[in-house]
Amino acid sequence: MNSIIETIRTDGLRQWLPLATLILLVILVGAFQPAFLEVNTLLQLASDTAVVFILATGVTFVIMLGGIDLSIQSMASLSSVAVALTLSRFGYGAFVFAFALGAVAGLLSGIAHVRLRIPSFIATLAMGGVLYSAALVTSRERSITLGDSDRAYLGWITGTVFGIPNVVVIALIVLAIAHVLQSRTRFGRYSAAIGAGEPAAYASGVKVDRQKIIAFVLSGACAALAGIVLVGRLASGSPTLASELLLPSIAAVVVGGTAITGGVGSIWRTLVGALIISVVRIGMTFLGVNIFAQNIVFGVVLVAAVAITIDRSKIPIVK
Amino acid sequence: MTLDASISSQAAKPAPRRRWRIASWAPLIVLVLLCGLITLINPNFLTFGNMVRISQAAMIPLVLGLGATFIILMGSIDLSVEGGLTLSAVILSMLVLNGANSNTFGLFGVLIVLLVGAGVGFANGVIHVRLKIPSFMVTLGMWFVGVGAANALLGGMAIRINDPMIRGLAIERFLGFPWGVWLALFCLLVALVIQNYTRLGRYIYALGGGEDLAALSGIPVGRVRILTFTLAGVFYAVGGVLAAAQLGLGNAQIGNGRLFTTVTAVVVGGTALSGGQGSVLQTLVGVLIVVVLSNGMVLMGVPPSVQIGVQGLMIIAAVALSIDRKRMRIVK
Repeated sequence: MNSIIETIRTDGLRQWLPLATLILLVILVGAFQPAFLEVNTLLQLASDTAVVFILATGVTFVIMLGGIDLSIQSMASLSSVAVALTLSRFGYGAFVFAFALGAVAGLLSGIAHVRLRIPSFIATLAMGGVLYSAALVTSRERSITLGDSDRAYLGWITGTVFGIPNVVVIALIVLAIAHVLQSRTRFGRYSAAIGAGEPAAYASGVKVDRQKIIAFVLSGACAALAGIVLVGRLASGSPTLASELLLPSIAAVVVGGTAITGGVGSIWRTLVGALIISVVRIGMTFLGVNIFAQNIVFGVVLVAAVAITIDRSKIPIVK
Repeated sequence: MTLDASISSQAAKPAPRRRWRIASWAPLIVLVLLCGLITLINPNFLTFGNMVRISQAAMIPLVLGLGATFIILMGSIDLSVEGGLTLSAVILSMLVLNGANSNTFGLFGVLIVLLVGAGVGFANGVIHVRLKIPSFMVTLGMWFVGVGAANALLGGMAIRINDPMIRGLAIERFLGFPWGVWLALFCLLVALVIQNYTRLGRYIYALGGGEDLAALSGIPVGRVRILTFTLAGVFYAVGGVLAAAQLGLGNAQIGNGRLFTTVTAVVVGGTALSGGQGSVLQTLVGVLIVVVLSNGMVLMGVPPSVQIGVQGLMIIAAVALSIDRKRMRIVK
């Protein structure tokens, strides 16, 4: 088993494996269900992928550094509640408010992780509980459906541009910004350096703590944006709106080929990963796999993808 | 073999188990202060009826916490608590006398469920050790596999449990406390024996204290890890039996929020996430702190939804206080 993994790693196949898998899956599903390859279905697929992709983009920044963010689904739900509660009062300001909330929550996670030196998975698990609790309290444990007057503000999410759903456009903008952040800024370079070898990055004068906090802020902000998009698509907000999205989002990052040990990865891979997750989901629905059982597949896929991408030389003792 | 044993006892020696540490008494002091404070605000806290309520609320977190303690003592983490518990509870509801099929396996059904729990834990351990994947990622996957499998078995329904023995765990009482509480205390005893009087217990401390050293001393590190994850799986299965008994049915939401309470209880009890420091008795104290606090909040009229947030803050505070920063240069 290990030797197979080593071969996949060494011959560079690994880099193209996710894309090849995606193409293969699309052809496979298309062969069984030709309707899948029509433009409308593909656009539908793209809009269904958008939310997971936005969530996954945020986590990608954190995973690149070798950390993890387990609070994204709670943040997205809280953001949906925040939008639903304040939309009639603040108008478009509600979106800004929810987005800022996400950034602040990310900042707090980052500070708890960096300053208090709490491992990121436990700090964000705890922060997720705090955010979930906040969503429950502010929404009084109900789902909030938006009235007709509020729905007028959702046009920028629900509409289309030249036939392309705005949701997809939003996701593409996120992709562009994230790509620039990662490949053209100091933050992006430092992230890769810290993920590749934290002591070396630290020794070369990189402000490790600051980069980590920025990554968590980005993750929180992306999660909030995902929550905003969800409000637009479902015209309601609830404290459990996004609770099923943690696993697909992290799976998307890892399936795309970003290693959880950090240093290796990119937003493009996350895009491929998110599309794979969507196609697999649709494929399973076509095949008649129980919608409840789909989490089994995602769980297995997650572990398998981690097993292939992980850099074992970085963790001499696996805990 | 004798040589092997003497080396391993050498390796187990640095484990600070028997050393008197002020840090391990802090949670107990917090618990006593908490009880005193709540009694001052609401004297009803000290009534026998409320003690029974607290013990009922504590039995499941205690059993789950015992399993998680062993994992955390090794320096690993187990996020699959809800997966193991939900799957166990659902399978139990399908095997004993129930409202959906004609199975009446009774006690034998419970045994099967414990084996299922052991199987889930064993799978965690084998994947973690053989494929060298960090435990939090393996168990994150297993969490959703477990809940997904339970969901698939049920198809979105819930199964009512009619077995008098299972229901009796929650309803029938001995010396005023439900049988489930006694079962949880028995689990505590088993965990104490494993921790203090078996080789596995010593090895777990040795691994948590320094895995490279433990490996050099000849401890079969991989086997200990797999065994510990299996053991934890059995504890989660017992938790599943208790949860099914308490609710009177098996459904796929039965585990919701349990991971959070479990992790809170273990770390609040003072067991360090870095491994090697802590004990199952400290987890008992941690569970009581969490349960007494939420009981007190109910007495004071704080809505239950706030409690999750309070637990989250408790995790951060407890971990921040207990982490040995000298040993951790890189925190990920």
